[in-house]
Amino acid sequence: MTSLERARSWRPGPRLVSLVVGGGTAVLVLYPIAYLIQASLSVGDPQARPPEAYGLDNFTGLDRYAHIFGNTLLVAGVATIVAVVVGFVMGWILTRTNVPGRAALEQLMAMPYYVTPLMGALAWALIGSAGSGFVNQLWRAVGGSGHLIDINTAWGIAWVMALFEGSVAFVMIGAVMKSMDPSLEEASQVLGAGRVRTMLRITLPLVLPGVLGAAVFVFAEMLGSFSAALVLGLPSRFYVVTTAMYQLVSQYPPRFPTAAAMGVSLFAVMFAMVWIYRRIISSGSYVTITGKAFRPRVMDVGGLRWPLLGLCLAYLVVAVVLPVLVIVYASFQRLTGAVPSLANLTLANYAMALSLDAVRSALWNSLILGVATASLGVLLMGFLSWLIYRSRLPGAGAIEYLLMFPQAVPRLVFAFGMMWAWLVFPIPIYGTLWLLLIAYLTVFLPLGLRTISGVILQIDRSLEECAQMCGATWGHRLRTVTMPLLKPGLVAAWLLLFIASVRELGASILLMGPKSKVITPAIVESWFSTSSELTAAMALLQTLAVAAALAIMFAVARRAVQAGGE
Amino acid sequence: MTEHRHTAVTRRGFLRTSALAAATAPWLARAPFAAAQGKSTKVLDFQTGADVAKAEQEGEVVYYGHDGEAGIGVLLDAFKKDFPKIKTSYVRLQTGALYAKITAERSAGRFGVDVLQLSDISPAIDFQKKGGWEVHVSPESSAYKAEHQSSPAGHYNWGGVTFAGISYNKGKIKPEQAPKTWKDILNPIHKDGVSAKLATSGMQHAQWYTLRKLYGNDFWQEFAKQRPKGFDARAQLFDRLSKGDDRMCVLAEYAGYTLFAEKGAEIEFVAPPDGLPATAFYIGVVNKAPHPEAAKLFVDWALSKRGQAVYQNQKILLYGSLRTDAGPMPTGKRLADFKLLFPTDWNDYVASHPVFVKEWNSIMGL
Amino acid sequence: MSVSQASIEVRDLVVRYGTVAAVRGVTFTVGAGEHLTLLGPSGCGKTTTLRAIAGLERPTSGEIRIGGSPVFSSSPSVNVPAERRGLSMVFQSYAIWPHMSVFDNVAYGLRVRKRPEAEVKTRVREALELVQLHELGERGASKLSGGQQQRVALARAFVFSPSVLLFDEPLSNLDAKLRAEMRVELKELQRRLDITSVYVTHDLEEALAISDRIVVMRDGVIEQVGTPAEIYDRPRNTFVADFVGSANLIRGRRRPDLERDGLVVLETAGGAVVHGTSLDRRAGAEALMAVRTVRLRLDRARPATAVNAWPARIRQRVFQGDFTQYHVDWDGRTLIVRSAAAEPLAEGDEVFVSADPGYCVLLEE
Repeated sequence: MTSLERARSWRPGPRLVSLVVGGGTAVLVLYPIAYLIQASLSVGDPQARPPEAYGLDNFTGLDRYAHIFGNTLLVAGVATIVAVVVGFVMGWILTRTNVPGRAALEQLMAMPYYVTPLMGALAWALIGSAGSGFVNQLWRAVGGSGHLIDINTAWGIAWVMALFEGSVAFVMIGAVMKSMDPSLEEASQVLGAGRVRTMLRITLPLVLPGVLGAAVFVFAEMLGSFSAALVLGLPSRFYVVTTAMYQLVSQYPPRFPTAAAMGVSLFAVMFAMVWIYRRIISSGSYVTITGKAFRPRVMDVGGLRWPLLGLCLAYLVVAVVLPVLVIVYASFQRLTGAVPSLANLTLANYAMALSLDAVRSALWNSLILGVATASLGVLLMGFLSWLIYRSRLPGAGAIEYLLMFPQAVPRLVFAFGMMWAWLVFPIPIYGTLWLLLIAYLTVFLPLGLRTISGVILQIDRSLEECAQMCGATWGHRLRTVTMPLLKPGLVAAWLLLFIASVRELGASILLMGPKSKVITPAIVESWFSTSSELTAAMALLQTLAVAAALAIMFAVARRAVQAGGE
Repeated sequence: MTEHRHTAVTRRGFLRTSALAAATAPWLARAPFAAAQGKSTKVLDFQTGADVAKAEQEGEVVYYGHDGEAGIGVLLDAFKKDFPKIKTSYVRLQTGALYAKITAERSAGRFGVDVLQLSDISPAIDFQKKGGWEVHVSPESSAYKAEHQSSPAGHYNWGGVTFAGISYNKGKIKPEQAPKTWKDILNPIHKDGVSAKLATSGMQHAQWYTLRKLYGNDFWQEFAKQRPKGFDARAQLFDRLSKGDDRMCVLAEYAGYTLFAEKGAEIEFVAPPDGLPATAFYIGVVNKAPHPEAAKLFVDWALSKRGQAVYQNQKILLYGSLRTDAGPMPTGKRLADFKLLFPTDWNDYVASHPVFVKEWNSIMGL
Repeated sequence: MSVSQASIEVRDLVVRYGTVAAVRGVTFTVGAGEHLTLLGPSGCGKTTTLRAIAGLERPTSGEIRIGGSPVFSSSPSVNVPAERRGLSMVFQSYAIWPHMSVFDNVAYGLRVRKRPEAEVKTRVREALELVQLHELGERGASKLSGGQQQRVALARAFVFSPSVLLFDEPLSNLDAKLRAEMRVELKELQRRLDITSVYVTHDLEEALAISDRIVVMRDGVIEQVGTPAEIYDRPRNTFVADFVGSANLIRGRRRPDLERDGLVVLETAGGAVVHGTSLDRRAGAEALMAVRTVRLRLDRARPATAVNAWPARIRQRVFQGDFTQYHVDWDGRTLIVRSAAAEPLAEGDEVFVSADPGYCVLLEE
């Protein structure tokens, strides 16, 4: 044993590092929440800091806004149902049938995630506004009266939200479908049950827990969604909790305590949802990499192949192609009309957009922030995933709950707490990009943790235990065994974090400063204070910048992999 | 005899005063913000109370304003052209949100703003009460009437005026239905087709207050039956109006109308005979500013003919200038050509703000 | 290859998970250089015990010493982390790291110990030669077959000369034929390396083949400890008799009046008299004996032995290749006899069953 002792000088044990990192992250999460709760209990002068008096008046006064809570539940409910149906149908088509081009389509299903909900909302506003929407203009041109669709309603908002969350639901449900043991279905068929009966009696019940889990998760996300309701709801006096909060703190005098009370109520509901979700998924086992890979049996659907393919393509068109085309079209117009005319074409919008400081510096800030968030985030969340799921240190379960907290809090609400919390912090990071970085890392913790831990849970424990038996300390194990095996998960997490931080709205809109502007709030500001054409140009510039950044990242990563060798 | 005594007294008085001045001069000189009455230098073609060299040394000015991004961009670009050594950065939010932000920051001990511009007088007066403004009487303020400055002077200044009438989409509203007076906006035929601004808008407060005084407290309750839609900025109001998403806008700022009419929108502007509610924007130097000299320079510039030319002639801003020597607006009209309705009792106006917010929010469905 | 051997002492080991006790008080020692096997059905606690020795499970109470020094103790509280115990382990799933080459897999333990690269190269090559994989050094480890992965796991385990080698059912993932081959190779490897080893398996043949001593476990406790021969020919109780090979159990009344020469005599309910060895075990008025199925002989004519020869009749015959299994009616019940004799007996034949008293073993109740 002496050779081992000699080889090791003092290194901080896993307990110490975990305490520091885990504890630090927990503080990051709890600090703003504490301020949020404090604000919600503040009665007396709404602007006094610290609060003059405490009480529950803000909560009891919320019944004035009962219709807003009702709106929120309605929109979230409808959106969830549509998203889950879309996700399930797509999942079933792409993993269990022999529709051609499945592999390519599966990759493409991630695209709606990149076309951010904001851009989708903007595009659908252009397509479906009762007055000036393209669809309605065409409708009137062919002789219809009034309007065919009105996107500025609860249904419109739910539709847009569902389109973009549908791809998330697809990913979750598809994963469940792929991990099903095909022999379970084969047994049913051997015993004489037909395809449909097998699907209904065997496949569906087995997949149901996963589908339910996805539904709960999507519902929780919908409760906190902001951009679609902001763009589409405000014009028709349709408020949900997040947009109502935004209005309340944006007016003078701002009504922080009421907004905070609303936020805490929403938080309570989302917390319950997330708790239910975790109960559902924890009642299953997730170790799939031990040598046995399931290849799900693909069903031959005969002539149905083509209609089903059409269905998938239709979804992609509606969720990706159509919005992008509309935005591109609008960005070149002086005054957008459904019928294009040469006189209306102009490059002025782009010229204006590029000249605006808001766009130039904001784009740059967003890209830098995106890279920083993704890189730091991957390291931090990789370590935290290991800490929670592999280290078997005491308190790991509590840390997991704590770090998933931000999932239950709408970003806007969280940023509100952060704004108050960090204003008083002695280190002058308020109004700088550092504050945004901390905010992003905190609110994206659940996203990163979920992605990476999905991969970590699939790594057989014995791979790390063996390294332990060979004498490697926890740090060495982490570096030489765990992290390399996690690489695909880490790369996926990096991409997700980068995209998420560039498209982030709810937190950024409250925490920006004069020198720390970022692009998505700038686009929203533009929508509200300039023309839709200029906004379209800005949105497109954002998309192009992100695409360019990703392309560069891919090239760099691929070169690194080739050089390092496998 | 009297003359001699007078002279003697004066001379002695003068000596005493100058001794006093000599004794206190160092203190006065060190005090950073001595009321610079009289101390002004000429730079470019206007007078400023700021130390220009020091301002350029500070090298930066932080501006908080309520105009649209494009408008602020135009304003700051013009300043940068005149003073290339001074960098500009800004935050744009609707007045309500802007004021909420700056007060939150200051209450936490963060002082990072140099110049503040608001579109509602209530927060401006509130800021004055809190001692937020730096008392700086701009040399350019001599071109403004006393009622167009803060009282006492030096806190904030009225930098320009915007006023609003009614505007409607010519394609959606037939000529016989077109509104001609303010009462016409209550016509049930326009239900679900009218737009206005949200409670965060200073202009909206002004309209609410003045029309209430004219037509009684029930006027806006009647208006609520029209189920109006509320928005954040005039660009959005006119964008929707031009496209026909709304049929009529009841807070149609003249500036917005001009801009969109030029783009070719099919809209019409109506100036009701009873008058057009008007509000100014209010600009001033912020106390404890990080770049005090640059701040003063900016405000002086904004109030000067140069700055006012930007505010008035740039189509995207189009604020009527209140300078007694101002030229006409780009449309050829002057402020005096319109019957403008300003609140007369400012204290009553300010006190009415919470009432306005509550009523307007519920009219807007919040 | 230099060899350091350590002894292992396990005393009163208890391992509890919540309310379930996987190991309920286990005590045994492994001498330096000895090959010990923990044998038992699934759920008996053998793997948990092994992992407790490794340091991968934390016991609830008890003591574990390696080479004389405690690596775990509940009082005073000691718990040396797994990576510092100087042991090595071969896992059931091989745990080959897919992102490294074969060479890097095997070299891992040496590199952790910061051995110079030249030494690493030599020792890895030697280890790979020992397991007959020397030509695969640079191959990516994920591209190996099951048997090859197993050998890499082995090489990796002993390359850095641990004082103890632990095996967690290393052959259970292989098919039967490969398992039989690997068993022999494993035994040869053990002989060459001569490291103290603790082996866990549920496979009887494996245990008998490679062990110096076997610990038979059930439900978290030890049923019997002994050499393979002892376990096989002298099972202590019903469980061991049944688990370690197939046996017939014969219950009967003691007949002390017929006992002589140190033998014990039982009379069955049906009247048959069976002589057997007592092995100094105590028995009451009623006792149980076990006779291995292969230790019973079938003859057409009565054999010449004085005792333990009874008439019987063949009821069923099952051909099993290496042997034939006969189900024989005897004493009102069925005896199972396995015979390798060439000449088959037919169903219905009248025969004589006999057994050497040395193979009729008295069981502790």
